[in-house]
Amino acid sequence: MMRDMDARVLACEPLAEGLTRLILYAPEIASSAKPGQFVQMLVPDNAHVLRRPISLMAYDPQAGTMTLAIQPKGRGTELICSLKAGQTVRVLGPLGTGFDAGEAKKVYFAGGGVGVAPICCAMDAFANEHARAFFGFRSAAYAYGMTQAPCAVTAVSDDGTLGEKALVTKPLLAAIHAKKPDLIMACGPAPMLAAVQKIALELDIPCQLSLEERMGCGIGACLGCNVKIVAPDGSWCYKRVCKDGPVFDAKEVAMHG
Amino acid sequence: MADLSLELCGVKLKNPIIAASGTFGFGREFDELYDIGQIGGISVKGLSLKPRTGNPPSRIAETPSGMLNSVGLQNPGVRSFIDNDLPWLLTKDVAVIANITGTTMDEYCQMAQVLAPTGVHMLEMNISCPNVHEGGVAFGVKPESVYAITKAVKAESRQPLIVKLTPNVADITENALAAQEAGADAISMINTLTGIAVDVNKRRMILHNNTGGLSGPAVRPVALHMVWQSAKKVSIPIIGMGGIETGEDAAAFMLCGAQAVMVGTANFTDPFACPRIVKELDAYCEKQGVKNAQELVGTLQEY
Ligand SMILES: Cc1cc2nc3c(=O)[nH]c(=O)nc-3n(C[C@H](O)[C@H](O)[C@H](O)COP(=O)(O)OP(=O)(O)OC[C@H]3O[C@@H](n4cnc5c(N)ncnc54)[C@H](O)[C@@H]3O)c2cc1C
Ligand SMILES: Cc1cc2nc3c(=O)[nH]c(=O)nc-3n(C[C@H](O)[C@H](O)[C@H](O)COP(=O)(O)O)c2cc1C
Ligand code: FES
Repeated sequence: MMRDMDARVLACEPLAEGLTRLILYAPEIASSAKPGQFVQMLVPDNAHVLRRPISLMAYDPQAGTMTLAIQPKGRGTELICSLKAGQTVRVLGPLGTGFDAGEAKKVYFAGGGVGVAPICCAMDAFANEHARAFFGFRSAAYAYGMTQAPCAVTAVSDDGTLGEKALVTKPLLAAIHAKKPDLIMACGPAPMLAAVQKIALELDIPCQLSLEERMGCGIGACLGCNVKIVAPDGSWCYKRVCKDGPVFDAKEVAMHG
Repeated sequence: MADLSLELCGVKLKNPIIAASGTFGFGREFDELYDIGQIGGISVKGLSLKPRTGNPPSRIAETPSGMLNSVGLQNPGVRSFIDNDLPWLLTKDVAVIANITGTTMDEYCQMAQVLAPTGVHMLEMNISCPNVHEGGVAFGVKPESVYAITKAVKAESRQPLIVKLTPNVADITENALAAQEAGADAISMINTLTGIAVDVNKRRMILHNNTGGLSGPAVRPVALHMVWQSAKKVSIPIIGMGGIETGEDAAAFMLCGAQAVMVGTANFTDPFACPRIVKELDAYCEKQGVKNAQELVGTLQEY
């Protein structure tokens, strides 16, 4: 059940270049969370009217904690990343649908940049001995989420300082050609998601994409966060990223327009 | 505990706090967080005669102390609302206001007819949406057209008719007067102020619709001024809105002459904003020694 609560900051520390790890004590949210879900964080300055959507990177219902990885981008995320342990921050969650492995036995995970965070959460829940993960970072300094990964991870970078100098779709495609997975789960920048979607559709692999859109309410009421969804017969409609997503079936999402 | 109740155009409200159209859907999502029967009323997402898909993304941009939206009246159509959402809403002990919008005068009239036999408590005619090109705003700018459409829709309405006015005009009080003369039972103000947001890095507009409607605390002084000016001119009730975030903000609108208020953007900042504002207004009344919140209406001391 979604809750709006003052969560206590247990830790706020660098995770990688340009990325902060925030650990919050939020038992009511952690106890009902699912991988792929997100929270809406109030910017702690009383001046920003819109909350900031942030994905769960990990959650622990027993400890009552959740972990977020946040990239200070504009003023809002900057202020959130400058929180100190002991302070509280208003969070609404858990929100949205999540990733769902269903019957899939062999899942391939693909994450890019800050999009690796929700993929880590999905891996914790769904990775088994058949799983493979593929992460793309700008460079080695930006990398995270690999040391405690529950399955084999292949990382690539834009500049070749980590793994191959390539886009994440390159090792993903190679692995697919070696052995086709039952399902792909992906999160990252829009061009990466579009490329993963193309691969999945061409090779007829079920695929779930986690999308981003600017949000108002975050709970499905304002219709501010729309994404175009196309039916097999070619008809289309808008769905809400916050409530019907953020995870969508790659078959139905129109990544461009 | 002060008495917050009122009778607005013959409809009893338990308090003057109403959720503003477009920020509260049909109430279902917020009802997952709290019992929406705690608030006085709900103005539902703008309804049109036929379903509308609305504008492409992005539809939202944050601005200093406010936001722009260009949702563009995405809605399932008035008949779907009546069949699928209204029966549930009517179980909730909250006044239901059907916010209607059209592209022709005939569409507005047909919607009033379709809603006439339903349990909807009031109609709010949006002739001020800045986000649809052929949208209702065409009717909301000139006093003559405000008069004409209000007269026509009033003739078809069974429920009290609220006319929602746009601030994007030379003199909003003329439109308030025109609505009153044409038989409106109340006016609500203000709808959003037209604006744009620029992504300087990409050198492009943030909103796909280019323009959007500004709401939130940034517009509050403008909204208060317009309510204050209009209250001097009209005798029908005014429902005030624009940037209300606290019970004291609601009280400010009432002092300026609003009998009730609507809360929009604040629902995004704090999903519990509406019930919180009810409690805060009560506390304010108590502090001021006011027994009935309606005693506040229009009692602002001026220089
Ligand atoms: C479902 C979802 C999950 C996300 N998970 C994470 C995460 O785990 N870690 C992380 O660092 N970032 C995540 N983001 C992106 C993050 O929400 C934005 O970077 C953040 O809102 C930017 O706020 P700002 O004030 O720093 O930037 P500004 O550019 O100043 O923000 C201005 C406005 O635009 C909105 N906005 C700007 N960029 C985005 C964006 N990419 N997506 C949505 N809204 C945006 C802001 O929320 C704000 O309303 C996620 C976005 C979504 C939709
Ligand atoms: C996302 C969003 C959608 C809106 N949709 C509608 C609508 O469908 N019909 C309408 O009359 N007003 C609509 N409005 C305007 C609000 O009802 C209200 O007039 C305005 O936001 C000012 O109040 P606020 O500052 O409290 O938000 C919308 C506002 C927002 C922010
Ligand atoms: S942000 Fe309001 S519907 Fe998604």
